[in-house]
Amino acid sequence: MSIRGEAVALLGLAGAGLTFWLGMTWAPSVSIDAFKAPEAQRIFYWHVPSAWAAMLAFGMLFVGSIFWFFKRSEWAWRLHVASSEAGLATGLMCVWSGCIWGAAEWGVPWDWTDIRLNTFAMLTLLSLYLVLGRRSQPDGVETRDTFAAFGMYGFVLVPFTYIATRLWQIRHPGPVVATSEGSLNSDMGTVLLIGAISFTVLIIGHVMAGMRLTKLELRLEDLQNRYEEESR
Amino acid sequence: MSGQTYLIAAYLGMIGALALWTWTVFARSKSLESKIDSLEKALANDESE
Repeated sequence: MSIRGEAVALLGLAGAGLTFWLGMTWAPSVSIDAFKAPEAQRIFYWHVPSAWAAMLAFGMLFVGSIFWFFKRSEWAWRLHVASSEAGLATGLMCVWSGCIWGAAEWGVPWDWTDIRLNTFAMLTLLSLYLVLGRRSQPDGVETRDTFAAFGMYGFVLVPFTYIATRLWQIRHPGPVVATSEGSLNSDMGTVLLIGAISFTVLIIGHVMAGMRLTKLELRLEDLQNRYEEESR
Repeated sequence: MSGQTYLIAAYLGMIGALALWTWTVFARSKSLESKIDSLEKALANDESE
């Protein structure tokens, strides 16, 4: 029996719901001295996993774009399409949750001088361009090549976004995991891990479902062409 | 609205958005499957005639 992407996505969605509940009720509060809006800090359990999931999706977009561009693999094109949609959804989720936190903590939802915020926003806009562009253009090798090129070159923003807070910490907080400072409480780390696993499952489910969806779209287009030819 | 209520509303909005996205994938998949089914039947009928 094949596992349907939709079932995997639902499992991830349930995990995201569990992360919300644990983040609100079980995770410890942060010090009132360290944050201006300590309650708003709880959005961190959603914001960081959605950023992680977006980075995974952009990684898959890169792989799909490379394999389409150089190998002309149909599965790679389907991966490109599905991961651009997944990157857009999780990227928007991350930007939105960050704006909510920024409004509460900094007093402004966005800082145009912060490198991390702006490179991540550019990645999300890139996936928006790929999703809308694909829907408005007829499918063909040239169209696919153009979008795949954007998917490949756009990926340069991923490592740049990752190191941005390490090199230029302007406003976005620095790393709290995979760092020698180790400032994260263990209960907080557990909720964050559950969130990261849930969002990973969610994104894998959506990419699986999205790849199948693209396959169905191409099959439908093929059948429609055959039907039109036979009707003439 | 207190900070906690504001946060819950924001969280629920985001879970709703994720659920809507998942449902959209379900709906698109079902709709495509039924269209493919109809076209395959129509093509099979044409071939048998």
